[in-house]
Amino acid sequence: MSQDDHHHPSAWGPHDWNHGAPHNSWAPFILSMGVAIFLFALAGAYEWGEFQGWGSVPLIFVGLGVVGFSLLVWWRQDMSFGMNGEVFEPKSTGTPFQNIDIRKVAMWVFLMSEMMVFTSLFSTYMRYRFGIPNCQTVFESGEWVEGTAVTCFEPASHLIASSWFHIAPGAINTFALIISSFTIVQALRYAKMKDIEEDVRRRKITRYLGTTWFLAILFLTMKMIEWFLGFPLPDFLHEFNHGDSSIKSLYAEGYLINADHYQHHAYDTHYLESHGHGLDHDSELYAMMEAGTHPGGHMMADIQVSATTFYVTTGTHGAHVFGGIIGLSYMTLKAAKGGYTPDNAVSIEYFGLYWHFVDLVWVLVFPFFYLY
Amino acid sequence: MAHYKIMGQDPYWMNFYGLMILTLIEVLAVGADLGPVADSLGTEEKVVTLWILTIIAIPKFIMIAAIFMHLYGDEDSGVLTMTALFPAFFILIMVLFVGLTHPDAPSSLPDWCRPGNYGL
Repeated sequence: MSQDDHHHPSAWGPHDWNHGAPHNSWAPFILSMGVAIFLFALAGAYEWGEFQGWGSVPLIFVGLGVVGFSLLVWWRQDMSFGMNGEVFEPKSTGTPFQNIDIRKVAMWVFLMSEMMVFTSLFSTYMRYRFGIPNCQTVFESGEWVEGTAVTCFEPASHLIASSWFHIAPGAINTFALIISSFTIVQALRYAKMKDIEEDVRRRKITRYLGTTWFLAILFLTMKMIEWFLGFPLPDFLHEFNHGDSSIKSLYAEGYLINADHYQHHAYDTHYLESHGHGLDHDSELYAMMEAGTHPGGHMMADIQVSATTFYVTTGTHGAHVFGGIIGLSYMTLKAAKGGYTPDNAVSIEYFGLYWHFVDLVWVLVFPFFYLY
Repeated sequence: MAHYKIMGQDPYWMNFYGLMILTLIEVLAVGADLGPVADSLGTEEKVVTLWILTIIAIPKFIMIAAIFMHLYGDEDSGVLTMTALFPAFFILIMVLFVGLTHPDAPSSLPDWCRPGNYGL
């Protein structure tokens, strides 16, 4: 019998890497329990957008605590470096991943599960986008009465892609993520370089990881501006914004998950006439108003489904960016202390895979949620 | 890491430039007046925009996956590409069901999107 056959590694870690890769762990089980507690409590805290009191809040933190504990156990068990600077990188033994790093395979399998998460969000969006009549179409059909809400799909792009100013945060974010994908690859490149001074390597890696971190923070800041804050415009730009001095956030525009009485000036016949836009003369609404069978007015819409699909999808993506920031914070600090060498540069590569995936998702989210 | 060149240049830089240009085209396409193009094609401006965005998103997706995520040019690129493509089957099924459950599925969608095509 080999030494490994006698070895029974603890499911709580830390693992003895001299006996091969770890096989057993309670951490995933505890993690799933923590997530379940967290989601259960979170669902109890809100009902139809209304806060239901503080009763569930302690349980939310218990859930987060359990998640944190499980990650600590997992990290302690699987950490692949020794106290004396040894680096352990176990290889996969089974087909078809033979001789590929286990962490790399695991990261790809994880990313594919993530792909399924986003696919379900995208297919939900597609289903609703094509299945629920568009608000503009409903408005022009004249099949509405002022004061009564009609259910229709109002794509966020109607607000976001309405002007260059509105689109600015999303466009900046797109460029920020692409640049950050590039900077993390550069960090990996320098981490793997052998013919370079240690101090130069440390500075380069820290600089590139730090830039990636900064761009991730910029991404979430832009997201906050777009969702909640809006931004003021300098005086000379007012004329390009219909005389308005600021760009409203989606929140201020009333684009909310519980918006069952949503009103927008684009769906107001009086506003359109007074601002010289007028109605499309080919529209049924125009014909009905000309014939005196429709009084016109301001259409009220129930846009809860469209707003929810937008916020859930872009919010899930934003949560992934936030997760990336946590990882990047640790990695940047580690890099600043000279923690990366060609021997353990793969850690940057595997985190990079996650980060590129976040960029990849955005490549689809941006055109289909923000532009179209 | 990449052991190849693109047009004699560093692949990461070339990929970066390419992605930036494609994104710029994407943003400009939304701002541009595509009404005349749509009229000449006999469709709505939104449809033209959607096609442009989709056509641009595909190479961007491939460029990030192939070059930045090393699905091209590494020893293990082949098997990892197959791993990455594995969910494609489920994605296709999801998209198909989006069509099947569409309110207009029985009348206005292509045959392969209609429940009747599958005896449903």
